[in-house]
Amino acid sequence: MFQRILVPTDGSDLSKKAVRAAIRLAAGTGARLVAFHAIPKFRTFTLDAQMLEDTAGEYRAASAARARTLLAAVAAEARKAGVACDTAHASSDQPWAAIIREAKRKRCDLVLMASHGRRGLQGVLLGSETQKVLTHSTVPVLVYR
Amino acid sequence: MFEHILIPTDGSKLSEKAVRKGIRFAHAMNARVTAFHAIPRFHASDVMMDLLGTSRGDYAKAAQAYANERLRFVQKAARALDVPCDARHATTDDPAGAIIEAAKANGCDLILMASHGRRGLGALLLGSETQKVLTHSTIPVLVYR
Repeated sequence: MFQRILVPTDGSDLSKKAVRAAIRLAAGTGARLVAFHAIPKFRTFTLDAQMLEDTAGEYRAASAARARTLLAAVAAEARKAGVACDTAHASSDQPWAAIIREAKRKRCDLVLMASHGRRGLQGVLLGSETQKVLTHSTVPVLVYR
Repeated sequence: MFEHILIPTDGSKLSEKAVRKGIRFAHAMNARVTAFHAIPRFHASDVMMDLLGTSRGDYAKAAQAYANERLRFVQKAARALDVPCDARHATTDDPAGAIIEAAKANGCDLILMASHGRRGLGALLLGSETQKVLTHSTIPVLVYR
């Protein structure tokens, strides 16, 4: 059925639930997993070039470290369930576009994601990144709430 | 993982494609399927050509026949893969609400549907009923394009 499932995660509780579901689905169907984290790009209003340079660099290092920790946890959980799992992260101002790009690059045939991310308004609406993935993805999208 | 999948269909090409893929998914999951068709309520102002010049009674009969045909399509696809399949329909002004209702009433743990229905705008947007199901469903929704 599905051979390769992309599961984006931002570390929120809801995305952890989606990760667990993705692992169960992959285990049940013999699919591989690609765990993905999109790092929002650093922004600042300061005009101090030095400060800009330093803090942006620190931000990059800290967020890359956070991405690796997050993704390592998913990979470990997948391994425990006997599921093969690749990990990837990318810096992007548009997480949804990064998710779709990664799904294409890794030839995933399903994207499984939470209905909301970290900035979600629980229960009210569909999260904006999930909404955009649904609108633009050409592969099926499985949405968890 | 998933044991009982609700597959709504409105008879559009895209929804019948979703039906075929959905049945394959159900087969892989060892799940059963409930096929569902929402019959739009009769409105004298409707511009659907088939309905023009018909009375409420004629409409009910034609709509019921159409529903049966749609549901038989799903059941036939299910039978071909030995997937257990029930069929349900409801007359409603709110297809998305009826889909969620049917999923709950039948104890389904997944709704599987196309990104657009009969009134979809191709690649541009997510169909409005799919959108509403995604916004209001508390169970996972798998969207096919």
